[in-house]
Amino acid sequence: MWSATDPRFGFWLPLALLCLATGFWLTDRKDSRKRLASVTLFASLALIVFFGANTRGGDTSETALLAVLLHMLGPVALMAIGSLIATFSGPTPVGPLPRGLRPLGFSMAIGGLIWIGLMLIEEPPDAIANGIGETIWGAWVEVFLSILILVATLAGAFCIMMGDERHKEAFTLTILTISAGLMFFEIMHNGSDGLEATGWYQIHWQQMVFLIGGLLGIILAFIAFIALVYMAERRAPDPDVVAPLTEEEKSVVDAVLRLNLELEEVEE
Amino acid sequence: MSEKKDAWWGPIALLMLLIAFSMNLFVWQLSGGVEFSSIIDRMVTGFSLAFGITSFALLFVSLGAVHKHMRWQEQILGLFGCAYLGIKCYGWVGNGFDSISEDAVILLAGLTAMLAAVGLVFGLLLALVTGREHIPDLLLEMDSTDGDVAVELED
Repeated sequence: MWSATDPRFGFWLPLALLCLATGFWLTDRKDSRKRLASVTLFASLALIVFFGANTRGGDTSETALLAVLLHMLGPVALMAIGSLIATFSGPTPVGPLPRGLRPLGFSMAIGGLIWIGLMLIEEPPDAIANGIGETIWGAWVEVFLSILILVATLAGAFCIMMGDERHKEAFTLTILTISAGLMFFEIMHNGSDGLEATGWYQIHWQQMVFLIGGLLGIILAFIAFIALVYMAERRAPDPDVVAPLTEEEKSVVDAVLRLNLELEEVEE
Repeated sequence: MSEKKDAWWGPIALLMLLIAFSMNLFVWQLSGGVEFSSIIDRMVTGFSLAFGITSFALLFVSLGAVHKHMRWQEQILGLFGCAYLGIKCYGWVGNGFDSISEDAVILLAGLTAMLAAVGLVFGLLLALVTGREHIPDLLLEMDSTDGDVAVELED
């Protein structure tokens, strides 16, 4: 029998239910499955929470992942909320916030990154300090920093090359790139608290390259999905030919049009 | 867009490629290098597993959204085939399924990290771009006359 602490029941089944809920949500609004989407979503979230509450970080890789995500929730939420505050406290016509909150928003977004930096110089909690938890946490941090360096550089270069004096934007993104670059350099050169530099090399050559391959696999899966839908649509039969209007139908349409045109003239 | 603007993508792509290559070279130099075959092995393993899992996820989404006008045979059976192929390849390349849950979890961790990093950069970029102050345009501040215009032409 499956129990709540079994990762197949407590982790992978809710993930499959989440995908199913997405499918329900995509159905027509008159479809009864549309209402099932929220129920399925809450049921899967409840199963994951129940699984996380009944297991400990060292138990399985799935629990370790939940521990890492919980650990990273603070800085990521700070960055997300900071970006939203900074956006809506600017000169926006949609739901504007007080202009004074704008520096706070930027500080919160950068604060999230500093928080991740501070995590590297302090001893990680037990759940992610050893074994698979440590590997998952290390992979998360390394992927985050690497993608931050690459995407911030891309966005900064784009700002400069688009012209229109976007120096402030480019400068902010340069700071982001340099901060992430320094953190990357530091962990690779001296390691972090709780994980030596050799551990980071292992994560880089084992997990980072695994994830690069994974990214390509995800892209190919989406291309395959589009190709399958395209094939299905191409093989679909042509819709039936619609018969032209009969004389009787034409006269009805003509009468309706005339009535509406006369009404418009009377209104004018 | 003009041809001159399109040409900007070349240097940007090259810059990103250069940075990614430099980062790997830096780690290679510090770590003393690893066997190239092991890198390829891990990459192919990740590719197969991600292909299989993503196909499975898309299969469940498709199952949830099946409707009477849909030609589901190709989509459902095709996705099932893709998922089976991906997982089978993973077992073949990765020498069995012993570490499948660990690898799948690493994949999910990497995906969330990628999303967080991309979200931070584009969130800040959005905040900066929407916050740009422009010099007031006098033409935009003019009132409309609803087409009632008298034009005086000079002789």
